[in-house]
Order: sequence, then C-alpha cells, then structure tokens
Amino acid sequence: MNFCLFLLAFVTASSGGIESLPRQVTLQHLSDTADVVVVRTSGDNTAGPMVDDVVWTSSDPAVAIVRGDRVVAKSAGRATLTATDGSGATTRTTVTVRDEDYRWTFRNDVQNILARQGCNMGACHGTLAGKGGFKLSLRGYDCDADFESITRQARGRRIEMSDPGRSLLLAKPTGAIPHKGGLRLDTDSRDYEILAQWIAAGAAGPAEDDARLETIRVTPDRSLLSPGDQTRILVHGVYDNGEVRDVTHWSQFTATDQSVAGVDQNGLVSVTGPGQGAVLVWFGSKVALARFMVPFDNEVAPSVYADAPRRNFIDDLNLDQLQRLRLEPSPRCDDESFLRRACLDTVGRLPTEAERSGYFQNLPDQRRDWLVDRLLSTSDYVDYWTYRWSDVLLINGNRLRPAAVKSYYDWLHDAVAANMPWDELAKEVLTSTGDSFDNGATNFFALNQTPEDMTENACQAFMGLSIGCAKCHNHPLEKWTNDQYYAMANMFARVRAKGWGGDTRQGNGRRQLYVSTMGDLIQPNTGRPQPPAPLDAPAMSPDDPTDRRQVLADWMTSPDNIYFSRSITNRVWSNFFGQGLVEQVDDLRLSNPASNEPLLAAAAKHLIDNDYDLKSLMRTILQSETYGRSSVPLATNRDENKFLSRYYPRRLMAEVLLDSIDQVLGTSTAFTEVTFSGADKQGTDFYHVGTRAIELYDSAVDSYFLKTFGRNPREITCECERDDEPSMVQALHLSNGQTLNPKLESPESLPSRWGRDEVTAGAAIDELFVRALSRMPTDRERDRLIELVSQDADRTTALRDATWSVLTSTEFTFNH
Amino acid sequence: MLNLTSRAKVHTCDGATRRDFLQVGTLGAMGFGLPQLLQAQAAGAGGPDTDRKSCIMIFNLGAPSQLDTFDVKPEAPAEVRGPFKGISTRGDFQLSEILPMHAEIADKFSVVRSCYHTAAAVHDAGWQMLQTGRQFTGGVNYPHAGAVVEYLQGRRTDLPAHVVLPETMGRGGGNLPNGQAGGFLGKAYDPFALMADPSVENFRVPDLLPPQSLPDVRIDRRRKMRSAIESHMANFETTESAKMFDANFDAAYRLMNSPQAREAFDLSKEPTAVRERYGMNRFGQCCLLSRRLVEAGVRFVTVNTFLTVFGETTWDIHGSKPFTTIEGMKNIVAPMYDQAYSALISDLDQRGLLDDTMVCGLAEFGRTPKVNPAGGRDHWPQCFSCTFAGGGVVGGRAVGKSDPIGAVPAERPTSPGEIIATIFKALDLDLHAELPGPGGRPFPLVDFGVREIKELFA
Repeated sequence: MNFCLFLLAFVTASSGGIESLPRQVTLQHLSDTADVVVVRTSGDNTAGPMVDDVVWTSSDPAVAIVRGDRVVAKSAGRATLTATDGSGATTRTTVTVRDEDYRWTFRNDVQNILARQGCNMGACHGTLAGKGGFKLSLRGYDCDADFESITRQARGRRIEMSDPGRSLLLAKPTGAIPHKGGLRLDTDSRDYEILAQWIAAGAAGPAEDDARLETIRVTPDRSLLSPGDQTRILVHGVYDNGEVRDVTHWSQFTATDQSVAGVDQNGLVSVTGPGQGAVLVWFGSKVALARFMVPFDNEVAPSVYADAPRRNFIDDLNLDQLQRLRLEPSPRCDDESFLRRACLDTVGRLPTEAERSGYFQNLPDQRRDWLVDRLLSTSDYVDYWTYRWSDVLLINGNRLRPAAVKSYYDWLHDAVAANMPWDELAKEVLTSTGDSFDNGATNFFALNQTPEDMTENACQAFMGLSIGCAKCHNHPLEKWTNDQYYAMANMFARVRAKGWGGDTRQGNGRRQLYVSTMGDLIQPNTGRPQPPAPLDAPAMSPDDPTDRRQVLADWMTSPDNIYFSRSITNRVWSNFFGQGLVEQVDDLRLSNPASNEPLLAAAAKHLIDNDYDLKSLMRTILQSETYGRSSVPLATNRDENKFLSRYYPRRLMAEVLLDSIDQVLGTSTAFTEVTFSGADKQGTDFYHVGTRAIELYDSAVDSYFLKTFGRNPREITCECERDDEPSMVQALHLSNGQTLNPKLESPESLPSRWGRDEVTAGAAIDELFVRALSRMPTDRERDRLIELVSQDADRTTALRDATWSVLTSTEFTFNH
Repeated sequence: MLNLTSRAKVHTCDGATRRDFLQVGTLGAMGFGLPQLLQAQAAGAGGPDTDRKSCIMIFNLGAPSQLDTFDVKPEAPAEVRGPFKGISTRGDFQLSEILPMHAEIADKFSVVRSCYHTAAAVHDAGWQMLQTGRQFTGGVNYPHAGAVVEYLQGRRTDLPAHVVLPETMGRGGGNLPNGQAGGFLGKAYDPFALMADPSVENFRVPDLLPPQSLPDVRIDRRRKMRSAIESHMANFETTESAKMFDANFDAAYRLMNSPQAREAFDLSKEPTAVRERYGMNRFGQCCLLSRRLVEAGVRFVTVNTFLTVFGETTWDIHGSKPFTTIEGMKNIVAPMYDQAYSALISDLDQRGLLDDTMVCGLAEFGRTPKVNPAGGRDHWPQCFSCTFAGGGVVGGRAVGKSDPIGAVPAERPTSPGEIIATIFKALDLDLHAELPGPGGRPFPLVDFGVREIKELFA
C-alpha cells in the first residue's frame, strides 16, 4: 500500500482540458493500490468537476492497470496510464510498481481499518468504558493500549494466529459470531484481507521504527464547481520517512455546509448549491479541508468590481471573493444610515443631536471618517466595549460576590478606557496576583479555581479554542492531545488563593491570589505530572520556580500564536458585521473554515502590526467600503448571507435596544435588584438613576426585558449565549409589558413633553423619526400618522401611540 | 459517526445557526397563518380525521436513571441494583419503589426499556436526538417534532400549535443547539415558550393581557400606526429575523385578543383540588396547564421537567455538586414527577382525552449501570427507558429489554428516530411525508426505513 506520489500544481491546460490526479503514483508492493480521479481543468490551479466517462488504458497491463478508479499493481516496472473521456481528450498518470517485501503494521494499517470501520468511535469500543469488554482508544490515538487490548486481553481470543478467521477481531465484525455492533466488515474485502494477513504474519505490535504520519493532503484541495457537479477527494498521508501513501479508503469525510456540497464515505462530493463549501477529512488524528467555490448564477460585469470603491485591504479581499462568487456588491448606504449604523455598532447607542449636526457639517467625503474618530474617543465607547468584554470574561454576580464583580468590572473599564492593547490585557489577566478587590483581574481565577478550568476558559476566551475534549482523550477535531491538555493545565498548577473560597452566596468575595513555587497537576492517565508546557510549545523544567503563567502568557500573546490574534479579530469583526469571519465566533479550530480566509488572515496581521490596538482594527473596519454598504439587497446578491456583499440587518442586542428606547424617550430604567439562579433576589445599590443597561457590571442584574431579548447570561465563555432572535414573547412584552408602556406614559417622556409644549403632530412626528430612525418620515408616513393622531381629541395619548409604533418597528429595533 | 465540522452556536458540534439557512430557506418568508394545511395535504399528511390528535412531550432534563425508575434490576449486584426496591404494578412490569403512583396507573402507559443513542454522552446531544429524531450534522439543524407538526398542520385555534412549558431548555454543558426549535423549517416554527412559572401565586402569562390603560381602541390604533411605518422594508426583504419580528407582532395580537387563549392559560379556573392533585410546584402546574392547552386546541406541548441541569435538583444524579444526589432524586425529583405524571394521565383518561393525546416521557439518555464512588450515576446513552401513553398506545406493556445490568438493549434496540416516528404515528402523520430541507431538498419526516414502535400499539 505504500506509494509515493507527486502532487503537482496543475499544468495549466486550455479550457475544456482534463487532468488525472495524482500525476504520478508509486506502488511499493504488489498488494498496494492507489486511487485516481480525472477532473476538468479550469486554469489557475483550480480543479473543475470530475469526469466520469473516462476509459483507462495502460501502456503495460502486465505492470499496472486501472480497475474502476483504482490502480492495481501486477508486477514491478513502470507504466503510463491514459484516461480518455467521451470527447477524446486524454490525460496521463505514470505509475511505478515496486515489488518490495511489505508487512502490514499495527500502527499504520490495522489502526486505519479499525478507525474506518468505526470500531474505535465513541459510540462503540472507543467509549471510555469500552463495549462488551473490548476497549479501544477513541479513534485510535493510543496505539500501545489498543494493541494490548486486541492481543493480550480476553485471554488472547481476539487473535488466532494459526487460523486468523477464528480471531474475534475478524469473526465478530463479519457476523461469523454475534456482534452487537452489527456487520462491519465483509470477508471479501481488502480490509479483511489486511487484518487476516497481519494476524497470520504474527500480529506484530507497534514498533519504535514505524513510520509516523506527519500530515495529510487532499487532492484536489480547491475546486471550482457548479450545482449538480460531482468530484472526488483523494487523501494522501505524508510520513516521516518520506513516503506518501494513498489513504483515501481509510479516511472519513464530513461536509461543512450541506447547502453547498455533500459528501459520501468514499469522498464523492455532490454540489447542491452556490457558495463556498468544504469537506473536512479526518485520517489518523489529522484533519484537512478540501474547499469548493461554487459561483452564484449571476452575470456581473468585471467593471463592477474594478470600479467599486475601495478604502483598504478589507475591500480588496472582499471584492476579490465577491468576484469569484459572482456576487455584486450593494452600493454605499446613505449617510443617514451610516450615522445610525456606526453609532449602534461602535458605542451601542443612537446618534446624539451633536453628533448628527457635526456629521452633516462635515464635507460628504469626510464625514464618515470624522464620525468614526469621534465615536472611538467617546466615553460611551468605553462603556460599550467593557460590556462586550465582560461577556467574554464572564463577569457574573451569580458566580462572584458583589464587591468582586465591581472590582473586576472596574479593572476592565480602566483597561478599555486606556485602550490597553489586547495582548497586554490578556497578560494582565493570566498573570494577575494579589487582592481581588485591589486587582480586579485576579477574579478570573476566582471564577476558575481549578487548573483545568483556568486552562479551558483561558483558551476559550483568548484563543477561541475549546480544548475540553482533550481532558479525557485526544481532541478528535484538533491536534491537541490529552498529554498537551495536562501539560497546559500544569502551567496553572501553582495558582493558590486565601480568603473567599468560591461560595457564590456567602462571604465578601475577597481573596488573595498568589503563586506557589511548588506543586504539579497529576495527569490522571499516567498518574504523573505532565511537564508544564503551553499546548504545543516546549516544556518548562518542572523545577523552575518562576511563575509558569508568565511563560504561558508570553506564548499565548505571541504573534506566532495565530489563534490569539485571529480570535480577537474575529470577535471584533462579528461586532460590526453581525457575524464572524469564522462562525461560531468562539470556535476557531482549524477544521472550521472562515468564510473568507485571506481576509481573516490579513485582518489578524493588521492587528498584530498595530500592536494589538483594537481601535486601530475597528477604525479600519469602520472606514472600509465593505462595512459602509447598503443593506438593501440587489437581485445579484440577495441569495447570499455570508460573503458581505451588503450589510446584513440584525436586531439590536438587548441592552442596546433598551438604552435606545430610553434615549429616544428621554427616560431611564431602574436597576435595583440582582437575581440569583435559585430565582431569589437581592437589592443592589450599584446603579444610580440614569444608569444605562450597557453600563451594568453584571449579567445577574434583574431585568425581564434584558432576559426576554436575550442578553448574554455569562454562564460560559460563548458568544452563542447571547440570543438576538425575535420571539412572540418579545412582541407581547413590547405590546403589553411593563417596560415600554410606563416609559411612554412617564411625564419625562418625549410625548409628554410634546403635550406640555403643544408641539404640532407634524413636528412631533418629524422629531420622533429623526431621533429614533435617523431620518425624516416620508410624506406618506407623515400624512398617515397625522391622520391617525388627529382622530383623537387627546393628542398626547395619540402621540404616545405613534411613538410606540416607531419604537416597535422593525426599522427601529434593527440595525441596518 | 463523529461530526467534524462546526457551524453551530457551539464549539463541539456541527449544527448550523439558523442564520445559515437564510440563504437556502425557501420558507423563511412564511409567517403565521399561512395555509400550511394545504401543503400538508399535498404532502399526504393530515386530513380531517386527524385533527383531534395532540401530543404532550415531557422532557426529563438531566436524564433519569433507568435502574432506579422504569427498569429496575432486583437480581443485579448491589452496585448495579442501587438502593431502591422494585414494586409490582397494574401493568405488565415492575417499577422502582420511588414511583408508587406510577404503579397505580401502569395499565395506562407502557415503557420502552431498550432506547439508546449513539451520540456523545452530553446532555445537549441527547436533547437534539430525542426531540428531533436525529443528531445535528453537516450544518443541518433538524426541527423539533412539534415544529414538524406545526409545519404540516398549522395551528388549530388562536393558540400556537406548539407551546413549550415553562421555558425553553437552558444550557446543557455541551453548548450544542438543544433541538427545541424550528430547525431548518425556520424561526416561524419555533415554539411559543411561556417563560413563566405557572405555580406562582396569581400566575398569568407574562404580558398576555394589555394593561388597564390600554383600551382596545388604542391597541387598534397602534397596529394601524405601526403598519404605516414601512418605507424602508427593502432593507429587510432577505432578513428572516426581521420578517419574524413583524410576524410575531401579528401572532401576539391574535393571542392577546383570543378569549380562548386567555381561558386556556388561566389556571385559576381549575378547582384547588385538581391543582393540588398535580402538585403545587412548577412541573405539576405545567402538566396541568398542558392538559388545558390540549383541550383548547394546542397540537403539541413540550414540558421541560427542569430548565437546566446546573444548579437545580434534577434527574442528573452524578451524586456530587453542582449536580444531584440519589437522595435528592428520591426525596424531591421522583415524588414530584410521580405525582404530576400520574395526575396528568388519570385526568386525561377521565376526560376522555387520552385516546387522542399521546403523552411521552423522554430523556436524553440513561445512567451508568454501576453506582459511582459519589453514590450517583453518570451519563449512559447506550440504554435507557422512555414511557408512552395515550394516542393509541396500549398501556401496561414493557417493550424491549435491557441486558441484566441495564447496560445495553438486549431486545428490540430502539433509536431516537423510532421514538419520534412513534409520536408522528400517534398524531396520524404519514411518515413518508416530506419537509423542505436545506437547499429546498425534500427531507423525509424520519430517515428511510425508520418506523414507529409497533409493539406499543394495539
């Protein structure tokens, strides 16, 4: 099965050409095979769809032939394999067959079969407890244990060297004797043959000199396809001895977006719709992505992209993608829309009157930049972003005592006010020591009191990585191993504290955090501490008495750690566009592709180049034409919702919606109680009259409105906890509830003022529209509302209802 | 099967957020009140005779221990058997002594002891599978069974077709979508969640009724005014959530103006004796409310026994904090469940509603056969028990069997797909009917070859 191949870039062929992949195949022995696929070529290193009507011929059938889509060795030698399609076009692959002595190995053959047949998956023998007394490591990460289990346990009945067919390893999955896992293996299959030969040859165990898999490659890795097309993904393992093997048969395939392309278990891809799709390939604990670009069915002239306004690299990379996908960018939004949008996204409130007039006093080509600079320097910026980062750091009165909540919040607020670079902020958290009231950042360690929790939450908050899986077994989707998990957790093993112990209902919350010079975390699978190391970095000496967290923080925030810069870049991005370049925002594992990878890479680099100055990234985003596009769809982009051809409207986040209502009405909301998870409440005197929702320290502050509109409860580090979806409960609350109605009736409210000042209905409606929607009403809207207002002798009450109708409109409750 | 991709609101799974489906959702534009019945008939489901059928799905968050409830093993060793004895019942099976009231009505319900699923042993994965019949993979979020019913049959009265009591599920620790939503059918098929505890004094549906200060004439005027603001709708024409925002106002208006809805949600109309029969706690009163809603024409009610598995005393008996101990189950959880469930079944039966109302008691998995060192039991999806009553189910039967320690199905392994198919069958839906899946592809109600649990029916 060993064979070498050369994955060459496509020889640029004329349109309509065909290309066989791979170009060269080496079969190491006569039982070796390799698959081939023929695709149409479309230039620029991108494969087209698979050609399935090819006929293969061999220059020397005595050396090798193609059966189906598989190269079969016959004898040592060289041959040229020629594929001819229905139109007579041809393409060639050369094959070299060697006749080497090869023995199937446990590590590189048997384990592949067990994984492919599902034996060691979580639902079967790979579960922690095993199945039917037979336990394998999950997806085969532990070769030695699996070998032991197969050959030594069950009194050796799993293996019968003299009669391999009687081995339980073969008799069970073929149904020769009952198997609760059902029929898994056909006695006529090649996998059966390999297992049988391995057993017959003595069932050798994993050896030190076995070749080790270094990486896997997929072919074709990029394809340009159309709905209805098919293609096939071939997978090649690259080993540390230089060999490259076809491992397609033992690989597992998963589609990342079935609305673009689906895949079957043999790697056959079927395109279902336009967009960017990918197939995630898993083999031997390595993952790789094969990507597909499926353009939309639009005609867009190249000049559209050439002539589109561009401000910075974001626009270049965005337009490049739109052009490939044949999506037309919507034009610039009008200046009123930009004013409202930028305010809501940057500082979490509607524009003030001063901003509005200043904005329009500027020249049209300068006003957007003026606004962006102004917004980034307001105190509202500080409140808004402190709130967003409080979501990430889980400042939650259900888990910390009130004084600690305040201290943590104040520390964060100061950091945001000083525009502390994000790497410094992360370092301050990760290396914090001292009194939890004096150094609020130490409360990270009050929320996470075990080395495991510290590790998992630090990775989640600052790298968008969920490594919890690796606590029990190697991470099935990532490279992280169980050992790396405990090596990382050991970096936190010397964190100690005195004082408040973590009782969320008792005590003052004051604790002293310090770092011991001794102590290690035991890796439970070995019973020994794992040498402390930040994930894939070199281990520290266990005897080094310095604070291990310092080493960890340096590694974490290093520009070489791409997760760190990508994670914060993606978080900032999603704030402004309503979706991350990677979705979900907290899920940055390599196997979760970005919607525009070059753009994410460039934006992350931009942040690094600017020393993690978040305002610099925000400014670049806000100034981009991509951000400033209209939210009105075009016929040539309406079917997409991922590639930023326009601005996507979204409901205001709960806190911003509540504050915006107060801002329009001139009212305020009282926050007087904190709700505990047992549903009991306690008073709080933290929040003076006029405190806005975005200024709250804490997610536990009682508010039916905020809960109903889906604030982030800050239970776990996940932006997914926030819910911006509309519900009927929200509509009922706005209609009948005790938030908006009392505000409208309040003597401070805008309609009450209109009543006192005897403002005309027309003037009132104009003011209402400008305050709430940042635009004047249309004639039709004004006339209709005046008509409805004037039908009631009680004009103030009628204006309250008009105000209700604007504040509950989609246009008000959405940013667009 | 392991799912490698991730698009969900999550880290460890691969469902898509509903936003992902805007692109492909041909249904996104549907609000309430569309002629779903026509579609249903076209799809071969539904019909005039079917319109009496309803379902109450009780979802036992936390997952009861099969060995301590519905699948006792008196012969097993002590570390498997656990502390409780088996008792005989009116049905063809034994139950745990902690469910004495179930024993009295065991001729009215049947238990399936060979349920299993193959997803990870995290709560959320089981929530998905047991409420939708499928695990979320490849970016596809499947619809809750109640959402499917709503899609195929629409609402029967002014009340929503699918109501969740008392709140939609909270988090389960795996950060996966919990399956309690419309999935690929779109937000329009998300259930109406009560978001309140019906056992509190003077319980009212939050904001169902307008305040005194709002006479009908003002409500009507507000509606007219709201519809006058429309000039910028072009911005929202491809934004499903924006359309839903408006559709929700229409649905809310309809609900608040429905005397039938006010009546159905008004628990004070029940005699105190009836309320007490169900138990004066959140779950008991939710069960009672579910009966009233079914009487008022709601097709599907999902009752969440608990809101989450954290910080609450639930079925999640790991034995140590922040979870529940086996004593907590015995003293608090089981008595509450026992009382409310038996009251619901008896009440439906006495009112002649049970034949048309399937009541299923589901959970995300079972628990480890061996008691753990903390005296509790951990997650175990390989084998667990679910109960079914009404809707044509014959009571008193034990269907399927587990092995001697309750670790794996020994007879008739029953998948989540079969459980959902059983619900659809009880609602007289055609299992071959199709839903519009992602990309507009037809999507069968259940996977090919999956059938109802025939042994439950006559």
